[in-house]
Amino acid sequence: MDQARGTPPARRQEDRKKIPHMDVDSNQFIPKARIAIGDPQLQAALAVSTTNSISARAESLFAFGREHGEHMRQQAAEAKRRALRHLPDLLEQAEARMQANGMHVLWAEDASEANRLVLDLIDRHEARRIVKSKSTLTEEIGLNTALESHGLDVLETDLGAYIVQIAGEHPSHIVGPALHMSKDTIRDLFVRELAMPPTDDAEQMTQFVRERLRRAFLEADLGICGGNFIIAETGSLCLSTNEGNGRMVTTLPRVLVAIVGIEKVVETVEDFTTLAQMLSRSNNGQVMTVYTQMIHGPRRPNETDGPEEIYVILVDNGRSAIYATAYAEALACIRCGACLSACPVYRTAGGHAYGSIYSGPIGAVITPLLAGLENATPLPYASSLCGMCKDVCPVRIDLPRMLLDLRHDLVEQGHSPALWSMGLRSWAAASGASRLFTLARRGARWGLRLAPRRLPGPLDGWTRYRNLPPPASRSFYELWRDRQEGRDHE
Amino acid sequence: MSSRDRILGRLRAARQPFADTPPLAERRAMVPIEDTSPAGLQRRFTSEAEKLGCTVHSVESAAQGVRQILNLLGSDTAVLSWDLAHIPLPGLAAALDGAGIRRAVDDPSVRVGITGADAGLAGTGGLVLTTGEGKPRLVSLLPLVHIAVLQAGRIVPTFEAWVEGRRAAGLAFGAASTLMVVSGPSRTGDIANIPVRGVHGPGAVHVIIV
Repeated sequence: MDQARGTPPARRQEDRKKIPHMDVDSNQFIPKARIAIGDPQLQAALAVSTTNSISARAESLFAFGREHGEHMRQQAAEAKRRALRHLPDLLEQAEARMQANGMHVLWAEDASEANRLVLDLIDRHEARRIVKSKSTLTEEIGLNTALESHGLDVLETDLGAYIVQIAGEHPSHIVGPALHMSKDTIRDLFVRELAMPPTDDAEQMTQFVRERLRRAFLEADLGICGGNFIIAETGSLCLSTNEGNGRMVTTLPRVLVAIVGIEKVVETVEDFTTLAQMLSRSNNGQVMTVYTQMIHGPRRPNETDGPEEIYVILVDNGRSAIYATAYAEALACIRCGACLSACPVYRTAGGHAYGSIYSGPIGAVITPLLAGLENATPLPYASSLCGMCKDVCPVRIDLPRMLLDLRHDLVEQGHSPALWSMGLRSWAAASGASRLFTLARRGARWGLRLAPRRLPGPLDGWTRYRNLPPPASRSFYELWRDRQEGRDHE
Repeated sequence: MSSRDRILGRLRAARQPFADTPPLAERRAMVPIEDTSPAGLQRRFTSEAEKLGCTVHSVESAAQGVRQILNLLGSDTAVLSWDLAHIPLPGLAAALDGAGIRRAVDDPSVRVGITGADAGLAGTGGLVLTTGEGKPRLVSLLPLVHIAVLQAGRIVPTFEAWVEGRRAAGLAFGAASTLMVVSGPSRTGDIANIPVRGVHGPGAVHVIIV
């Protein structure tokens, strides 16, 4: 990590109201993206994973015709927006129903409170062996780091999250944490760190991990998971998983702690059926994830397995603040990852460049909102506004609109790049004065003809990977004027 | 004031978002199913479950189903199993006892687990499993091979149709401690997008339709 540039400014006392809800390293987006672009292995991995996902998504979502697929997007979008509209009421209903189902419900205003609640539960239950299934929210709140600083080891059990944990890295994708690593890299890592007998076979590598983690599951006394949805009417904690580690974590340890964002509540079981299927189809084309679970409380009398206690921690961490803004729509996200796979910027820069667990277009919106705009100034610009993200979003979030609004906020708050602001000011001054504008336009045409193929100084960014276009012989303005005067030469 | 009250207070103080979102004109199931005849549903379920990587055995009689299970067990001396009252195969208990196969509920060294199924979903090939007394969670999770015995009459068009049916029957969803849809064998693509089965859950799922 480059410490010299973009280190977040020291937090001041008077800034307490604006404490960021997430630690990020997003102001390094451009240098990190540059490194990613120069990494052929990463480029190959990104090309394969994003292309596979996005084509499988389209095939699966539109298997019954485009009209049907679009209707289902509308249906999913309506379900999430209706849930958000009634969010406070649904949260209270969900709490009451989950309690009636025998689960404990706790609330955390921010990351530190959520982490402290988990630590308290670990203490209270004298838990020592902790297993975890993948949860993006726990990455957001830095749970593993908080637990490790108290001398507790947390074992990630999703294969991708486990790989990333062993490598000492961060996930590069919300669904596929190790998508940036090649098979050879993972093999070498397993051989080096886990003394795996060398093999090039992904299946044998997976079996090796299965056996290692199986022991950990059987010995664990506390499990930590996230939650894809909470159903208010039934008090169901819902998890969509593929590998089975999510079921292990929610079944074997005697205590289960689920950490769930407050925006995950939906109203009815019917809404859940729509959203759960849209989630898997939009991610990688699966009709449903292998295990779609609705958990209704701990082990009951006469049951032989299941956790004895279930705690659900409902985490705000900045969400209620977003709720009150024009960015509330971002809370509709179901974390399918389709906008990542579809985004030309993500497909080139990869997840790590964003410096946040939330990458891609949704990450470029959520990260500044949670971490503070000043801590993620490049992200709203990490988009060509091509609109693919909006087109593939299963809940029709208008990501380009929010990226534009964030750019507006950046300028308002004085975070726009100096050269860019100066350019825009000159443009505003010149275009307001007709003769000056005409002169400047003529000057620009000659200037461009004479300009070197690469621009100097800070303008170099434009020409490093492409040539400056030659200017048109006649400007649009001139063509239009001629046309109006009936002297069109064309 | 508690964190709970502060969070709810902030949400209530905000201008209600999406107040002008129009209600949905028509609610559809994700997968449209035209042929809802019993034979049509069974055909569709079979083909969708096979696409997921399941092996489907349609049997004519309970005896044939029992033989199929004994075949799959091979020379195993133990099996994880739900209470046989929840597995619609009369004669299974006697056959397992006769073959000297011990039944357990949570032994992690056992290779095969046998469950019933609350429903089969024709549109997506998934199995609805509920847990409760006599229906432990681990039987369909710990072993390498999961055998689910499904009554043909329990195949419904879709997840949505199953939910509708349960609601119409007045059954509370929360009556089951866990309710899940199992859609094929455990899988991952976390190593370089290469599909691999049997990560932590069963790598093989056999459905016996009776």
